[in-house]
Amino acid sequence: MSIDVLLKEFQEVSEHPYKVLSQYKAEGKKVIGVLPYYAPEELVIAAGMVPMGIWGSNKKTIALAKEYCATFYCTIAQLALEMLLDGTMDQLDGIITPTICDTLRPMSQNIRVAMGDKLPCIFLAHPQYRRPAFGMQFTVDQYTNVKKELEKIAGAEITDEALRGAIKTMNASRAARREFVKLAGQHPEAVSAVLRSAVLRSAWFMEKAEHTAKLQQLNAELAALPASNWKGKKVLTSGIICDNPKLLQIFDDNGIAIAADDVAQESRLIRVDAAETGDPMMALAQMYADQDYDVLLFDEKSSENRRADYVVKQVKESGAQGLILFMQQFCDPEEMEYPYLKKALDAAGIPHVKLGVDQQMRDFGQASTAIQAFADVL
Amino acid sequence: MSIYTLGIDIGSTASKCVMLKDGRDIVSKSLIAVGAGTSGPQRAIAQVLESAGMKREDMDYVLATGYGRNSLEGVADHQMSELSCHGKGAAFLFPEVHTVIDIGGQDVKVLQVENGVMTNFVMNDKCAAGTGRFLDVMARVLEVKVEDLGTLGAQSTKYVGISSTCTVFAESEVISQLAMDTDKRDIINGIHKSVASRVAGLAHRVGIRDQVVMTGGVAQNTGVVKALEEALGHTIHTSPLTQYNGALGAALFGYQRYLKEHQA
Ligand code: SF4
Repeated sequence: MSIDVLLKEFQEVSEHPYKVLSQYKAEGKKVIGVLPYYAPEELVIAAGMVPMGIWGSNKKTIALAKEYCATFYCTIAQLALEMLLDGTMDQLDGIITPTICDTLRPMSQNIRVAMGDKLPCIFLAHPQYRRPAFGMQFTVDQYTNVKKELEKIAGAEITDEALRGAIKTMNASRAARREFVKLAGQHPEAVSAVLRSAVLRSAWFMEKAEHTAKLQQLNAELAALPASNWKGKKVLTSGIICDNPKLLQIFDDNGIAIAADDVAQESRLIRVDAAETGDPMMALAQMYADQDYDVLLFDEKSSENRRADYVVKQVKESGAQGLILFMQQFCDPEEMEYPYLKKALDAAGIPHVKLGVDQQMRDFGQASTAIQAFADVL
Repeated sequence: MSIYTLGIDIGSTASKCVMLKDGRDIVSKSLIAVGAGTSGPQRAIAQVLESAGMKREDMDYVLATGYGRNSLEGVADHQMSELSCHGKGAAFLFPEVHTVIDIGGQDVKVLQVENGVMTNFVMNDKCAAGTGRFLDVMARVLEVKVEDLGTLGAQSTKYVGISSTCTVFAESEVISQLAMDTDKRDIINGIHKSVASRVAGLAHRVGIRDQVVMTGGVAQNTGVVKALEEALGHTIHTSPLTQYNGALGAALFGYQRYLKEHQA
């Protein structure tokens, strides 16, 4: 298949997750909603079910969720609840609610109360001390609980063997996505900013093995392209999420390519893999322990500003000339990290621009002005 | 033969045009007090051409900028972001400029300029605090004309703090001050200080270096300029041309682009 055809297929999924969900249900599959961040999708796959990421919505308006949420909750969390309340996600068989930030913690309870008996809600609390033995044990305990709840929904036990298989599936998915990010950065003529996002976003909705197979095909096509002769600018994107096609269209209209990203929905969560041998529950805990350089994760050496240095390194290695930060409105982990990021970028002489965004934005006039002006500065 | 370029700045609340000869002399200018999505842009263009006694065909290059810059297809040869144009215009008016503070109808921008070229900038988030819109709302509540705010605020004798930066909250603060019979002039002064503190906060993010130039419609309000000087501890330069600054920058870029295209 040609690059364009493949990209269009990913875009179709990315824009219509509801259709995908309905299709899986029609095929008799059980589907588990997975809220951000770091939920072990492996467990869902090992239980023979389909994990589907929930990352808010660029199309819906918050109405029903207002009854439960303080106004300063980020729109990602509020829109997740909105879709649970308005029936969009009625077909789900369960939902995993991680609680790693101060919004998701109360949100998990809002969801539980709002859903009542309608939908099993699986609570997941990751430890912040994720590396010491006691932290690892905590993660294993939490995951064991998630596993038990999933087994109830699936009506079958998750065997170690199935779990190792699921780890392989997820490792392959992550590897293909990392490879794609690299190739898309090298061939911006072939992959627009809008379609790049669609490919990465659809990974959260499609069955992983199917997504990986298609993505490997796309990667092979991209790798076979002659070296790019990109005349425009290149940037690194940073933030929680940046998947609104209208917003990304501004990049394409102004000849700005995304060289790589530090975006939670895209690369942040797929940087490390789990061991495919040994105790699989321990392997999953270890994978979480190995995660790093994320605003959501505790850093024992926070005084060293390692995360910001890592992002600076990413900018340099990817060949980006600057960084565009999409600041989710009212996301405190991102807001609190910003001064440190700014400090490191300034010190390295890397220009950046910070744009306040949320998923209720429908007009991107101001963002367009800022992005266009930023391209002039680069 | 002379080269004529036209800069059109379609803002959210006004449309402005500047016609330049040889990238140096201002031939004519126009300003219509309605902006993007109205008849303002067409009227401003008609006016600037008419007062120069020229036609669109006489223009060697037309460059559009501002919020509505994309709406001029067929008229403009090119479009650029208003930030770049504001930097350019300010550097033309004040060759020593290093910081440009532009308060427009619905946004605030602070630019860092190096040798006439914009090198960094910040913009406010999508909230109206500190913008021209904020002052419009306050003037309406106080039942005064927005252009009189500067003069009235200067007559203030007592400090009244308007602490909210949010337009909606500040509006109710102002209403309760009015209910307590506080002198309008003191309230206005408080409003100017509130705008200044919000803008100063933004300006500190890019860093402030002399000369500091203020552009955009709000630069006409002497009260805000003075309050901002106090908040920043820097002298602020303005020009009667300040509202035309974006259009001026656009005409200058138009001239540059014309030369580049015709050299090649
Ligand atoms: S956007 Fe920020 S506040 Fe919202 S769920 Fe994500 S980390 Fe938490």
